[in-house]
Amino acid sequence: MMTTVRSAGVAVWRAGLARHSWSLGVWLLLSALLVWYATLIPVFGQFQITSISKNSLPLVYLAIGQAIIVIAGGIDLSLGALLLLTNALAARFMDDQPFAMVLFIAIILIAGLGVLNALVGYIISVSGVPDIVVTLATGYIWSGFALWILPSPGGGTAPEFRWLFTGAQSGIGGTYVMPILMMMVPAILVFLLSRHTRIGLSIYAIGSDSVAARLAGLDVRRAKVSSYAIGGAMAALAGLATVALTGTGDPRFSVGANATLNSVAAVVLGGVALVGGTGLVLGAVAAGVILIMLNPILSAMGIDPNNAQIIQGLLIAGVMMVGGLVTLLRERSA
Amino acid sequence: MSETQPLLATVKVAKSYGPVAALQEVDFAVRRGEVHALLGANGAGKSTLVKILAGVHPADAGDLHVDGRPMRIHAPVDAISVGIATVFQDPALIPDLTVRQNLRLSDIEEAVFTHWLSWFDLEDLDTDSLVRELPLETLRMVDLARALARDPQVLLLDEITAALTADQAERVFSLLTQWREQGRAAVLITHRLAEVRRICDRATILRDGRNVALFEPNADTVAADGSSTGTMQDVEERELVEAMLGTEVSDSAAIEAPGSHSLQQQKTPASPQEISFAAQGLSSGDVVRDISFELRRGEILGLVALEGQGQERLFSLLSGDRRPSSGDILVGGSQRRWTAPYDAVGDGVVLIPGDRLLTLLPNLPVRQNLVVPLFSRIRQWLRIPADERQRVMNAIDRLSIDTRAASQVRRLSGGNQQKVAIGRWLVAGFRTLLCFDPTRGIDVQTKREIYALLRELAAGGAAILLYTSELAEIQLVCDRVLIMHDGRIVDEQDAAHATESSLLTAAHGLEVLA
Amino acid sequence: MSQSPQPAQASATEGAPAGFAARAAAVVSEHPTLALTGILAVLVLVTGLIEPNYLSVSGARNTLLQAAPLGILAGAQTILMLTGGIDLSVTMVATGSAYVAANQSPEGAAVAILLGVVVGLAVGSANGVGVAVFRVNPLIMTLAMSGILLGLFTAWAQTILQGSTQMGPFIKLIGGGSFLGNRIPYSVVVWALIAGGLIWLLRRTGWGRLLYAIGDNEVAVRLAGVRVWQVRITAYIVAGVLGSLSGILLGGRTGAVDLQLANAFLLPSVAAAVIGGTSIFGGVGGYTGTILGALILSVLNSMLTFLNVGQAIQQVVYGTIVLALAWGYAGLTRRA
Repeated sequence: MMTTVRSAGVAVWRAGLARHSWSLGVWLLLSALLVWYATLIPVFGQFQITSISKNSLPLVYLAIGQAIIVIAGGIDLSLGALLLLTNALAARFMDDQPFAMVLFIAIILIAGLGVLNALVGYIISVSGVPDIVVTLATGYIWSGFALWILPSPGGGTAPEFRWLFTGAQSGIGGTYVMPILMMMVPAILVFLLSRHTRIGLSIYAIGSDSVAARLAGLDVRRAKVSSYAIGGAMAALAGLATVALTGTGDPRFSVGANATLNSVAAVVLGGVALVGGTGLVLGAVAAGVILIMLNPILSAMGIDPNNAQIIQGLLIAGVMMVGGLVTLLRERSA
Repeated sequence: MSETQPLLATVKVAKSYGPVAALQEVDFAVRRGEVHALLGANGAGKSTLVKILAGVHPADAGDLHVDGRPMRIHAPVDAISVGIATVFQDPALIPDLTVRQNLRLSDIEEAVFTHWLSWFDLEDLDTDSLVRELPLETLRMVDLARALARDPQVLLLDEITAALTADQAERVFSLLTQWREQGRAAVLITHRLAEVRRICDRATILRDGRNVALFEPNADTVAADGSSTGTMQDVEERELVEAMLGTEVSDSAAIEAPGSHSLQQQKTPASPQEISFAAQGLSSGDVVRDISFELRRGEILGLVALEGQGQERLFSLLSGDRRPSSGDILVGGSQRRWTAPYDAVGDGVVLIPGDRLLTLLPNLPVRQNLVVPLFSRIRQWLRIPADERQRVMNAIDRLSIDTRAASQVRRLSGGNQQKVAIGRWLVAGFRTLLCFDPTRGIDVQTKREIYALLRELAAGGAAILLYTSELAEIQLVCDRVLIMHDGRIVDEQDAAHATESSLLTAAHGLEVLA
Repeated sequence: MSQSPQPAQASATEGAPAGFAARAAAVVSEHPTLALTGILAVLVLVTGLIEPNYLSVSGARNTLLQAAPLGILAGAQTILMLTGGIDLSVTMVATGSAYVAANQSPEGAAVAILLGVVVGLAVGSANGVGVAVFRVNPLIMTLAMSGILLGLFTAWAQTILQGSTQMGPFIKLIGGGSFLGNRIPYSVVVWALIAGGLIWLLRRTGWGRLLYAIGDNEVAVRLAGVRVWQVRITAYIVAGVLGSLSGILLGGRTGAVDLQLANAFLLPSVAAAVIGGTSIFGGVGGYTGTILGALILSVLNSMLTFLNVGQAIQQVVYGTIVLALAWGYAGLTRRA
């Protein structure tokens, strides 16, 4: 009896791995890149790991949020602007405040942006305007607010808060324990939420086939709004991580726009198809780290940082082309 | 008296889609302990009524009563919670989740679900398989088992037997019988009148969005013999068809009635014509194996097979959508190597797929739908033929397409959509026509029109290969018929002498005794 | 949606009142361009109230000078959106083309424009192959392409494209000059020609029919005997060329080019097409609406500049109005 149960469990695991081979592949790629990076530079140790993990935080958070929204069949082009808004609010109001107050502000911001973006999800659901259009517009609005709150770069936060994300009160050096914890705890929480709760499954359901989901008696709107709420909360985390990393706020529009585009790239590289309903949050996490890691790797190889952009673009296009080619061949041979 | 109180009733329900009135003042009542047939030609409003009862679309006007109490149903979840469970034509299951995850989303206990699955001999189904990976007939059973596990008072079954084997359909019928005995109710939407006579107690007929007839044979028959069959057996199929069409139907013109001669008389005399299209040893994996046949000008060659014998794959090979793993396709005697439907169409070989989702441009007008093939070559891109409008009008006239809702094809009825799919090739022209089950789920009237058109096209010199799931059609329209089983052609019969029993026997892979 | 079904209080008879508002809404939903024209007129009047000088020849000329490059970029988006695609690299194409044209200006205007357009041809082909042959999602393909182009031009600016960043006199004239007593900008003439061409392509050619058809149901178009990849690739090439032309006009207007030249136009180019009624999912829309969309956004821009409220408020108002217009449009067309 026990053995049959166990073998059934193993079979489920195997089927699961086969279904999510892309996500697995991204983690393998990340490991391979880390090993390669370690051989490229003379000394590889705590400093490099800390630096990669803490610098990845904002993109990883955004990628998690974007992944949930994309899985639900949407896309959010305002996540970068939400990052800016949080960054501006945090830098302005956390400046010279005690740690407890700073933490309080942080929690308010996470909850507040969750609610704000839930509202955006609700508007999308009610209006029938495509996600991409609504979030394009709200992206302008949030960027505008960010600029209004913090007209020029500045502000600050508590040293303890910087330690929370970077492992060092100065934001420089430190250990990798904190950044990795801060990366993996939200990632695993959102992952478990998405695969093992009813609301998480209904997020997959509406992205996979929203008509069937409605016919099966699911509340499509609630699932949609929930996905946007999670996206907003993750964008807030990304903004907080940015304050912690840089120690200031920077409300430039282009910063937000780039962050949004990178989050979409990370999601797609991580195996979350833009059509929705498939992929894992954890794949997007690994892809986010890979995108950030490219910079130090290229500079270690002595390549001009301008070329990093080219290589990143070629990597994204190349991986997606190979993916497309593989499905094409598989269809032909099936 | 609660016995006469309908379990589910609509009062003067109306629904319009844009300018098209789909339902007008429909009264419909389902009693406890009955299996109620909902019948009508395509576009009569059956699907709309089901969608209103299931909460998919709200009604524009009218009331809905459940157990005598007025109810508002805004969404499918509301219908489920008042005890109405629906099995739609397309299973309402999430493709990217496993069966178990789907059950979890519907708050259904797996044990109850498995109990119902065992009714259909599917208790071994692995609930960890992705819905996407399961075949359609299994999914319909899964969907039905889920509906039953919800313990509803009313079951709405939309063309439930369409994708099922005879054996599975049998089990559904015995289930419905039990259901009736428990004092619950079921509504059966179907085109198969034989099923109605066998299993149903009453029948409501819709025509042009109105409730035009209620067949209510003497209910005593049930009580008298206590049999498992419904009382509708006392009603002639002809009566039902007449009510659906609104005209008197003579026996010979009823499409199901064998021995109707008007179409057969159109069949071309057996003078040998040139071979227009041929397959030689065509194979595709294990699905299609070594298929050879010849198709002559002026001929309609039938193809018969049970579900899933490789006929879909065969048609995608013949239409250039897929490349065969071995074997050749010959057009006008010369061997062709196609890489895409583009090449096949260039050789005059065109396909009307079974699934209308594969043919129609749902949000575009009829005209845009009809003209697509006119622009398949790059040199045709920068102009529009001067006679485009004329060709379109001709096709619309010839097919008598109802163009009241012509601005968006998705608003047309199923029969009219199928006509648009055929009309595309009338506009573009062709030499060989591959027709995959063109009359599936289509009303009698439209069926008749489509058969007449096929004969007319053949008489004009076209070569036609017709796969159909309705065996009665073979004798009516075809000249010869091939029978396919397990990927192979196992038999060829002269259509004039092919009976349903001889075809079925061969389709099961058995030898037909002369 | 989560409310449980309740016994109905009253019978569900609604939609009875057919007053003036309902009839107006019906007319507008049949002819959405009327509503857009109305919005444009209101915006022009409001801007005129804020800055009376705006309601003059020079005011109109300034708006049109802004609208022309935006309208052409939005034309590229319109074509691609009709097929269910999008081009996020179109502004980098514009910038790159302008950069090449400026660099080649000493060789004469013809060479400069030609080489500039080559950029659009090349990038459009690459995007088209990626999307149509390798089936990469258009959002991702063009996003990656945008990054590649930014990197390439940043590197080239210091190597093979060193030298002139000034446009030649002819391109400056076309991009920023006017004729008939400084009334009508040349760039508007270019835009009008392109607009005429696009409208003809979309309405009166088989290629246009195929764009709509592919956006509605690609599988059906393939089975109807069309090589869908051919249509897609040509659509991306046309979009690339439009991007080039827009960039050269823009460069001509500003006189000198840098790598930020067209950046700010990316989101407005999509917004103009969306406001104009082209569906981002494909199959629905047209260029007439996009022209109005580009004009509306340009007038809005002028208005916000006159209001002198600072960039923050400008962004907020801009976003709000784009959202409101898209929402209103969706509401109107869903009625039908």
